[in-house]
Amino acid sequence: MLRFENVSMRYGPGPEVLRDVTFRLEAGSFTFLTGPSGAGKTTLLKLMYLAEPPSRGLISLFGEELATLRRKAFPALRRRIGVVFQDFRLLDHLSAFDNVALPLRLAGAGDYEHDVEELLTWVGLGERMHAKPETLSGGEQQRVAIARAVVARPDLLLADEPTGNVDADIGERLIRLFGELNKLGTTVLIATHDRGLIERSKAREMRLVDGRLVELRAGRT
Amino acid sequence: MSARILPREAGAAPMDVVIAIMAFLAALALGASLIADRAAEGWRSGLAGHVTVQILPPATGAPGPALDAETASALAVLRATPGIAHAAPVSQADTEKLVEPWLGKGALVEDLPLPRLIDAEIVPGESLDVATLSQKLKAAAPDSALDDHAHWIARLKALSTTLIWSAYAVLALIAVATAATVAFATRAGLQAHHDIVTLLHQMGAQSGFIARAFERHYFLSVLGASLVGASIAAVLFIVARGLEFAGVEAVPFLPPVDLKPMELLWLVTVPFASGLIALATARLSVLAALRNIY
Repeated sequence: MLRFENVSMRYGPGPEVLRDVTFRLEAGSFTFLTGPSGAGKTTLLKLMYLAEPPSRGLISLFGEELATLRRKAFPALRRRIGVVFQDFRLLDHLSAFDNVALPLRLAGAGDYEHDVEELLTWVGLGERMHAKPETLSGGEQQRVAIARAVVARPDLLLADEPTGNVDADIGERLIRLFGELNKLGTTVLIATHDRGLIERSKAREMRLVDGRLVELRAGRT
Repeated sequence: MSARILPREAGAAPMDVVIAIMAFLAALALGASLIADRAAEGWRSGLAGHVTVQILPPATGAPGPALDAETASALAVLRATPGIAHAAPVSQADTEKLVEPWLGKGALVEDLPLPRLIDAEIVPGESLDVATLSQKLKAAAPDSALDDHAHWIARLKALSTTLIWSAYAVLALIAVATAATVAFATRAGLQAHHDIVTLLHQMGAQSGFIARAFERHYFLSVLGASLVGASIAAVLFIVARGLEFAGVEAVPFLPPVDLKPMELLWLVTVPFASGLIALATARLSVLAALRNIY
């Protein structure tokens, strides 16, 4: 599914943010990425969702070596990835419904109204689906961002602190949603500080410290 | 219906004003080329079907019966020439009218030794052997001079060609200026909507999908602005036509500054051409910018 080999990353002439990172995500796996602030979690996610090219090393995604892959093939790979951004990155001029529908529009899906409405209702926003993001609370915006990431049933779901702005109840519900998607075959990686969430889970944990992947906890069944 | 990917842009008024002004100028240039073409064609067809014979009066002494005899001889030659449909002498009163704009009227003009003129109409589609006809006229009327207007027709043709190509050059310059304005606006739009473009790109949008959002935006914006500019130009031409009907002559000797209803329809091409230029420019600008994103 996803393979990093000796991947390093620096922005411009700055110091290396990631150093010799090597790991694999197997198809259908569920993984937590942890580490202190500034350890490089967001940068690692950016490399995974093809927002940045690595400075060094090899990345293989869905069986394709990115270094040798033609640029024209990238959009199709990106559409197979759902991303929950830490800052949500919702389009302010679109309603919650239209934000969630965006991946389906990009994929050229025709009849998506029912799927989008159902998902928004499931995340507790059935009454607010036509509201603009600026009128939603932080937690509601986060749920819209999560709905947008999962609506197209991605093969790989990456989430950057997805439960950071929601209460414990909603947080549990969202993690259950990720779990359900994972059972359906979606590979899930969640970057989080929430130790409680990790401890309650049996999933694998990867830890980043100072740009290095130093600690691994294998997934328990 | 799907929501717009790009938000409606606030602060786009300056570009709309520039585009409207350029469309106004383009419509004026296009209208001028149509008027020049029609006027030159009118002049050409008016002159090309006729020849004029002048019987010059003697340098000294009063024009006497000899001039009348030469006129009659020249008329006879013309009427016997195949290809001449009709030949008739121009009356003294009409000849005086011809020089009236320059010399005025009155006793002075009546005393001037004006040449006798014969206007001959050529059978449509026939070509005359001007050299042979001139020789025959010289033999019959030694003081005659044949004018087939070839010199004037050539000069009018050159004038109208120059005017039309000048108008095309102005249109081409305006097209380039429109493209440059839209390219500049697209770049500003890409910067203003950088977050949206980056997000769409990272979500797997094809470059064409993002480009379509921009090209639609600028096509509609430029189409609207240039419709306003071209409409103002059309109103000006309609007002000028009304003034012509009311008897107001804008510039003496020059053709009236008006467009026929069918010619006015040509002005519709200005906003559509502007819109298409905007569409192509926006698309190329966005695709070029997206190539620089990983």
